[in-house]
Amino acid sequence: MAAARKSAQADAAAVIAQMGGSKSQARIVWEQFRRHKIALFGLFVLAVMYLMAAFAGFIAPYGINEYRRTPVSAFMPPTNVHWIDPETGRLTRPFVYEYVSERDPVTRQRVFVEKLDGPRYPIEFLVHRPDRPYEILGAFQSDLRLFGVEEPARVFLWGTNNLGKDVFSRVLYGGQISLTIGVLAVWVSLTLGMVFGVIAGFYGGLVDDFIMRLVEVLDAIPQLFLLIVLATLLKDPRNPLAQAFGLSMTSGQTFLMIVIVLGFVGWGGLARTIRSLVLSLREMDYAQAAKALGGSELRIMFRHLLPGTASYVMVVLTLAIPGFILAETGLSFLGLGPSEVDSASWGLLLRDATARGISIQFVPWLLIPGIPIFLAVLCWNLVGDGLRDAFDPRKRR
Amino acid sequence: MLPYVIRRFFHLIPTFIGATLLAFMIAQLVPGDFLTTKALEPNVRQETIDRLRAQYGLDQPVMVQYVRWMGNIVRGDLGLSFASNQPVMNVIRRPIQNSLYLVVLATILLWLMAVPLGVFSAVRQYSLGDQVVSAVSYFGLAIPNFFFAQVLILAIFLFRGFTRDTFGYSDLAFPVAGMTSNGWEEFSPWRQFWDIAHHMIVPGFVVATAGIAGFTRVLRGQMVEYLESDFIRTARAKGLGPRSVTYKHALRPAIIPFVAGIGALLPSLIGGAGLVEIVMAWPGITPRLIDAITRQDIYVVLGFLVISSLLLMIGNLISDLLLATVDPRIRFS
Repeated sequence: MAAARKSAQADAAAVIAQMGGSKSQARIVWEQFRRHKIALFGLFVLAVMYLMAAFAGFIAPYGINEYRRTPVSAFMPPTNVHWIDPETGRLTRPFVYEYVSERDPVTRQRVFVEKLDGPRYPIEFLVHRPDRPYEILGAFQSDLRLFGVEEPARVFLWGTNNLGKDVFSRVLYGGQISLTIGVLAVWVSLTLGMVFGVIAGFYGGLVDDFIMRLVEVLDAIPQLFLLIVLATLLKDPRNPLAQAFGLSMTSGQTFLMIVIVLGFVGWGGLARTIRSLVLSLREMDYAQAAKALGGSELRIMFRHLLPGTASYVMVVLTLAIPGFILAETGLSFLGLGPSEVDSASWGLLLRDATARGISIQFVPWLLIPGIPIFLAVLCWNLVGDGLRDAFDPRKRR
Repeated sequence: MLPYVIRRFFHLIPTFIGATLLAFMIAQLVPGDFLTTKALEPNVRQETIDRLRAQYGLDQPVMVQYVRWMGNIVRGDLGLSFASNQPVMNVIRRPIQNSLYLVVLATILLWLMAVPLGVFSAVRQYSLGDQVVSAVSYFGLAIPNFFFAQVLILAIFLFRGFTRDTFGYSDLAFPVAGMTSNGWEEFSPWRQFWDIAHHMIVPGFVVATAGIAGFTRVLRGQMVEYLESDFIRTARAKGLGPRSVTYKHALRPAIIPFVAGIGALLPSLIGGAGLVEIVMAWPGITPRLIDAITRQDIYVVLGFLVISSLLLMIGNLISDLLLATVDPRIRFS
C-alpha cells in the first residue's frame, strides 16, 4: 500500500516536472539547450578556448614577443617532438633536438635541420622561468610554465614567424584580444541599440523616424570602409578627439577605442530588432496597465518593455559576437586593429603570412592562427543557434 | 509603379545627405591637412601655404566646406586628390570598377550555387547529402574570407608543385595574385577579357563563400517550411509532378526574401571583397582606400565613401523594386 502511494506521488511529481509548471524560464531554456548536442559541443570548445587564453602565460612556453637574434630562428618550422627512443625503439618521454640552420645547396634557401647527433633535450613539465614572469587575468603573477626545454634547444610547436617569435605562444596570447573584443563590442552595440531601439519603438512618430533614418545612414556606408577609416584616424594620437581628451593612445586605450568603434558601427541591426519588438509589446495589456497605474515613461520603457525583449536579444547578441570577432580579426589583419607591442590579435598573426617576400608554401605554419578564428566563430554560431532553438517554444523537445 | 519609384528615390536623398555628412565629419578627424606636411618643407613659403589653403577652401569653417563639397558632388565633381593632383573621379574610377567585377561575379556565383544546394537540401531533408551541405555551410559561414583566400593560395601553390613534379607542367592552376597577366596591354580585347575572368575566379569564389553558405541554409529552412504547407499538399493531390511542385510552388515563395536581400547583400560583399583584395593583390577599392588614408588624401577617402554608399543605396532601391515586382502581396500604395 505504502509503496503504491509512494509511487503514485512520484508519478505526480514526474507529471508536474513534465508539465514544466514550476520551472523558471532559464531552467527550461537550459534543459532545452542541453539536448542540443552540437550547441553543447560549441559551448565546450569555447570554454576551453577562453580558459586557454586566460591562462596563456602558463600554457605558452615563451613570451608573446620573446625572440633571440642568435642563432637565427626566423621562419623555423614546427619543432619535431620525438616520442620514440631511436636506440631502443620504445616509447620514451618526449624530447627534441637542437635545430641548426643551413643553406640549401641548390636553392640557397635557409633550411633548419635537426642536430640528430647532438644531445637530446627532454621536454620538461612545470618549469620555472624567473626571467619571464607573466600575469594571469591581470591579478596573479607567476613564472611557472606548463612545459619547456632547456637552452639552447627550443620548442616551437607551431613554428616561428619572420622575427623568430613562437607562433604557438602568440596564438594563445592572441586569444586574449580576439576572443574578448567581440564580446565587449557587442555590449557597446547592445547599449546603443537598446536605448535607441526602445525610444524609437516607444515614442514612434518623428522620434522613431529620426532614429531609423540615423540607422539607415550608418547602413548606407559599407561597414568595412567605415571601420577602416575610423580605426586609422582614431588610432592617430594627433587626431582632434584624442587631443581634446588628452589621450596618448596607450595599448589599453587603443583596445578600448577599437571596441567602441566596432560597437558604434554595429548597433543599427540591434536597434531595429528591439524597436520592432517594443512596437508590439507597447500595445500589450501589461504595458497599458503600467501606464494606467501612472508609471513614468522611463519606467515603462526600461522596467516593462525592455525585459520583454530579453530572450530575443540574448539570441541576437550571441549570434552577433562572431560577426564582431570577424570584424576585429579583419581590421587587425589590415594592421589597423588593437595590436601593440604587448599584444597580438589573431588577425595580426595571419598578417605575418602576407608579409612582403614570403611564399606561403615555404611557411605554411604561419596560417595556423586562422584556425582558432574559424573555431571561435563556428562555436559562437553553434551556441547561438542552440540558444535560438532553446528559446523557441515551437521547437521544444 | 512609376510614382513608387519616384517616391523611393526621393526617400534616398536625406539618407544620402546624412551619409555624406557623417563621412565628412569623420574626415575632420584627420590631423591637420595635406598642407601640414608641405608646410614643413623649408623651401615652401608661408604665403604659398596660405594661398593654397584659400584656393582649396581649407581656411573656411567645416560646414561651409561641407556645403561647397556637396554642391560640387551634385555637379559630379568629387574634388581634387591632393596626393596625385588630379580629379578624385579619375583616381577612384578604376578601383571601384575592379571591385564591382568581383562583387558581380560573387553575386552570380552565389545564386548559381546556393539555389540548387538549398533546394537539394530541402527536398532530401536529413539525407546524407543534406547533412554534408549543412556541415559545409557552417564551415563556409565561420571561415574568415581573408584566411580562406590564404588557404586557397597555399593549396594552389601545392597543386602547382605537384603538377610540376609529376607532369612537368605547372600552368594548370588559377593565378593567385593581381587582376591581369604580364603584358596584358598588348593582348587582343578578347584575350584581355579572358585573362581578367581567369584571375577573377578564385577571389570571386572566396568573396561569395559566406554568402553561399548563409543563403543555402536559409533557403533550405524556407523550402522545408513551404514543402510542409497546405498548398503544396493540394498541388500534389491534384497530380502535379515533383519537379513542378518543387520549383513552381515551393521555390517561388521561398526565394522572395532573397530577392529582397540582394540589396543587403551588397554591403557585405563589398566589405568582404575588401580583405580578399588585400590578400590577392586585387586592385580594388580597399587597397586604394587604405593607401589614401595613410597619405591623408581626404577627398579620395571621401570619394570612395560617397560612391560606395551611393552604390549601396541604389542596390537597396533595386532590390526593393524587384521585391515589389516579384511578390504579388506587395502593392504600391
